[in-house]
Amino acid sequence: MQSGDLRARLTATLTVLIESADELRDLDAQLGDGDLGITVKSGSVAVIEALSALEDSATPTDIARASAKAFANANPSTMAALVAGALLAGSKTWADTTDVTVADARAFTAAAADNIAQRGKTQLGDKTIYDGLAAVAESLRGPTDAGSAIDAAITAAADAVERTTPMQSRRGRASWLQERSVGIPDPGATALLRFLEAWRSAQ
Amino acid sequence: MRKIINTPEAFVDEFVEGILLAHPDLVTTPGDDARVLVRADAPVAGHVGIVTGGGSGHLPLFKGYVGAGLCSGVAIGNVFSSPSSEQIFEATKAVDGGAGVLYLYGNYGGDVLNFDLAADLADLEDIPTATVLGRDDVASQPNERKLDRRGVAGIFFAYKAAGAAAERGDSLEQVAAIAEDVVEHTATMGIGLAPTILPTTGKPSFELPDGEMEIGIGIHGEPGIRRGPLETADEIADHLVQPLIDDLGLTSGARVAVLVNGLGATPLEELYVLFRRTHQILTEQGITIERRYIGEFATSLEMAGASISLLELDDDRLALLNAPARSPFFGEG
Repeated sequence: MQSGDLRARLTATLTVLIESADELRDLDAQLGDGDLGITVKSGSVAVIEALSALEDSATPTDIARASAKAFANANPSTMAALVAGALLAGSKTWADTTDVTVADARAFTAAAADNIAQRGKTQLGDKTIYDGLAAVAESLRGPTDAGSAIDAAITAAADAVERTTPMQSRRGRASWLQERSVGIPDPGATALLRFLEAWRSAQ
Repeated sequence: MRKIINTPEAFVDEFVEGILLAHPDLVTTPGDDARVLVRADAPVAGHVGIVTGGGSGHLPLFKGYVGAGLCSGVAIGNVFSSPSSEQIFEATKAVDGGAGVLYLYGNYGGDVLNFDLAADLADLEDIPTATVLGRDDVASQPNERKLDRRGVAGIFFAYKAAGAAAERGDSLEQVAAIAEDVVEHTATMGIGLAPTILPTTGKPSFELPDGEMEIGIGIHGEPGIRRGPLETADEIADHLVQPLIDDLGLTSGARVAVLVNGLGATPLEELYVLFRRTHQILTEQGITIERRYIGEFATSLEMAGASISLLELDDDRLALLNAPARSPFFGEG
């Protein structure tokens, strides 16, 4: 995928993702402080604006970095800082890439997942967005074309949400609820799933 | 809520404006955002910059320690809230003199995330950074989990030593190592007698029944080790100082710097009563006080209470403490 397509697709995806803001807010209100809705909504609006301000010559790396900065500053929550750090870590794997392949997407996602694990001091099974990201990175090992890659990614992300729902949250505010978190889908992992679904429907 | 403010929303911006108007010779804002402040002569070419930051409500922390021989820049957030990564990054760019930038701030989750993200942004512009966290509050975690402790008043010692090292031209690695060494040898414990009222919510920062005190309290009113009836000043000093001696493993012949810090509403007289007993305890155990600092260094708005910090000294650390420094709230030499 070339830079221009990436920008257009990302803009369309985030426009769709904003529709999930209320669902994510309600989910997060059960487990955390409920600010995930506003983080996703104001973050998406800010990224769309930042992308439209980029020069035509912007590379995929420039796009990822501009997105990270905009997302971090829109609503400076913990989640926003973690996502922005993950995007910056991912952008480093692209270096001079001009045409993003499935393999590039996998390298980006794996670096993003590692960054979140490190910054958020989280492990698999803690019931966070990291469970989803790690599964998505893994799912991108097989497919080579974009269509089957996004299908595999959505299946992996949905499976991660489903798999961790019966678990107890072990990181962040959600962990304070202890056993009361059992049975509620993780808002971060759900946000990732909604992003991927939006990516597919936005084409 | 009886406070000398105009509106709760304008409180932070207006006290910052006041600092800028009072000390234009010492500090300035590099851009449009007054939440970012740097020393007036920043960047100092060839020298390591030191950026600190955190929530408002702790003056002289954090803005008060920006100046020669101390921190080079600061980003502050709303009351008890982290500054944004963008603000930290702006301070970073403004103080980078080509020798890299040290991030030196207290160990709190939101601050760590935003400083780490600012470090990512700095990395993209080829500004090397290093990070050292203040984590001196012995009441917040036992010694075996000391890396998870929160940072309180004792960070002043790290500012002073790292600032002196940057001023004399040490490399980023050296300045970071000195800051880490000082943090490693600093221990603090505090006591709370009455909460502050948060300007935006009008709510107290914590609840404490009349006649009680919280031993081991944090600078946002975080609970400490235990709560009990208010005791005499000497008993309070005993409760605060002995755990510090034990934590640092100080024995007869050790040398220390002492910081007796008021949390906002406690008068200087009471701090000197605490210092009197602190001096007795240390002297009885054969520990020599080389430097003493008594006053407000890290507050929690008008919270009543105090903290005591000890820094174990060697000749290197003492020389760095004694080096000249000048900022709006602290001067030396």
